Amino acid sequence: MAEVRPDEVSAILRKQLAGFENETDIYEVGTVLQVGDGIARVYGLSKVMASELVEFPNDVMGMVLNLEEDSVGCVLFGESTLIKEGDTVKRTNRVASFPVGEKLLGRVVDPLGVPLDGKGTVQFEKYMPIERKALGVIQRQPVKEPLQTGITAIDAMIPIGRGQRELIIGDRQTGKTAVAIDAIINQKYTHTDEAKKYGVNPVFCVYVAIGQKNSTVAQVVAKLEEAGAMEYTTVVAAAASTPAPLQYIAPYSGATLGEYFRDNGRHALVIYDDLSKQAVAYRELSLLLKRPPGREAYPGDVFYLHSRLLERASKLSDNLGGGSLTALPIIETQQGDVSAYIPTNVISITDGQIYLEPNLFNAGVRPAINVGISVSRVGGNAQIKGMKKVAGSLKLDLAQYRELEAFAKFGSDLDKSTLRTLGKGARLVELLKQGQYAPSPVEKQVLSVFIGTNNYFESIEIKDVKRFEKEFQEYVELKYPQILENIRQTKEMKDDTIQLVKKTVEEFIEKFKKS
Amino acid sequence: MSVFRISYRYANSLMLLAEEKNIFQKISDDADLLFNTLNASKELRAVLKSPVVKSTVKKSLLEKIFQNKINSETQSFINFVVEKNREDILFDIFKEFLVLVDKKNGVVKAKVVSAVDLNDQLKQKMVGGLEKKTSKKISANYHVDPNMIGGFIVRIEDTVYDASVKHQLSLLRKKFSEEINISNN
Repeated sequence: MAEVRPDEVSAILRKQLAGFENETDIYEVGTVLQVGDGIARVYGLSKVMASELVEFPNDVMGMVLNLEEDSVGCVLFGESTLIKEGDTVKRTNRVASFPVGEKLLGRVVDPLGVPLDGKGTVQFEKYMPIERKALGVIQRQPVKEPLQTGITAIDAMIPIGRGQRELIIGDRQTGKTAVAIDAIINQKYTHTDEAKKYGVNPVFCVYVAIGQKNSTVAQVVAKLEEAGAMEYTTVVAAAASTPAPLQYIAPYSGATLGEYFRDNGRHALVIYDDLSKQAVAYRELSLLLKRPPGREAYPGDVFYLHSRLLERASKLSDNLGGGSLTALPIIETQQGDVSAYIPTNVISITDGQIYLEPNLFNAGVRPAINVGISVSRVGGNAQIKGMKKVAGSLKLDLAQYRELEAFAKFGSDLDKSTLRTLGKGARLVELLKQGQYAPSPVEKQVLSVFIGTNNYFESIEIKDVKRFEKEFQEYVELKYPQILENIRQTKEMKDDTIQLVKKTVEEFIEKFKKS
Repeated sequence: MSVFRISYRYANSLMLLAEEKNIFQKISDDADLLFNTLNASKELRAVLKSPVVKSTVKKSLLEKIFQNKINSETQSFINFVVEKNREDILFDIFKEFLVLVDKKNGVVKAKVVSAVDLNDQLKQKMVGGLEKKTSKKISANYHVDPNMIGGFIVRIEDTVYDASVKHQLSLLRKKFSEEINISNN
């Protein structure tokens, strides 16, 4: 055990005392009129600002949401049982804000920046307000750099660009969070020296957990730690047991941290998991504040609730440093009903959606992405040229396959070309299956998609497709590493590379068949 | 409608009446008396709030209590309020009225809490200092709270000037409980 020296202790005490000012403290106060259900009405606080933080006794914080003629409506971020009528409420002169800075990476915090991981106080640079106006047209530029998720199906057909907002939507237990976590893990590559060499800028991640079980959050954090992804990730957690107001502000806190990176010319990826629970939390406190309910009892401004959050995703113009904030909101649907209120709202706000289906999931197609209705409105700008080239026909092939699949079920006689299309489609579906926590780098994705769309699988059994892909990648890595190197460097599939790949595949097929 | 809005409306109309008839001082004295009576008697407030007691009874009760003590204008105002079935907020109306009176006179109320009884000289100094700070007339009322060890707390409207030893100590406690990073500082 380390020894404690008395002179050291007094030195520390003196240091702390040095900053202590013995002056009259001036503050503004109000009185609690009514408290209950996480809401307090306060008399006084006449100069308080909307969404300012106020301090109740017993270290309970609150946020001002309603300013009325004779009273102020506050939501409480703590236990309402700790507060009683007549208690004094103090202003803090600070609108609800979140601590930002480098040191938040690797931490798990609540939406007010209070650490939840037991690693001591959070060191931060400054406080930034959680509600900030989204940037205007002048400050932005079109999305153009790819954000690789490491999931072949997404990177090939539904590419996500840095600064984009792509919704992940699906029923419960369809792997929504898994897609998001894989995307975080895949950013590890962008922090390496190798990525720097090829001009890929690092992406910092923020994972906002809203209304989830604490055990689930712990699991995600453990997984990220295991994959070494916590070094560049912050988890903002408002678990199911936290009061609704904290769940409501959690995504804004996450966005604020993302904006900090963006405004410093860096790149951020923020995942909101999930916004349907945030809407429910907001509905709860709106109803308690006696705001009139609308459709599905959500308040009238529930669209604005999500639009102002997702509008903060942006790609800055080069004058402002060219940073970006990519948002991946998650929405959970009930029984596949995408026409419910919240899903339609968020679908219309975002730049596309990744639709996950339980049927596909149960059929073993994982990630269970329905490529037919999943889209990315940014499109090819968010892909490297090489991927754009090879993935062009992939979506079409799969569409044709799905169309014919219905016929094939009748068991009627099929002509040769139909059988061929069906076979190709089935092999492509097999090829796009991918394990969890196993993101694949873009050059390997390009390679796989290339052999898939160019019919090299025709002679391979469906069950062998995955094995073929894996072994082929290993083969290329060992024998022709220049292929991968070439794609990484030029980000293109030049003709000579294509020739070389073709030669290699043919060579490999011979060997594969013998084995 | 909120009690605040209703009582403000009634108080304001009483104010306008007083100004119109030029009996402002008289009425504000009445208001003081009424406010203090209602403030002191919980029973009276309870009776006025009770829906069981008939309004005629309430009316005669109020008349009996305040007869010959208040002006006829104030008396008829009270009757008017009772007729409109707003007797339950009579207390709030006069409270609001006194706020309006203070506003008109440019007076703000200050609540001074100190650990020991202040002597007159100190009180004068305190009021003088506060008047200088707020540039308004101060009407102060004084309380003693030995719990705060030393110093004083002044509350003017929503602003608190806290120079109590108790508060200083609690700030110090907070300061000490903060974690400091020895290596970084």
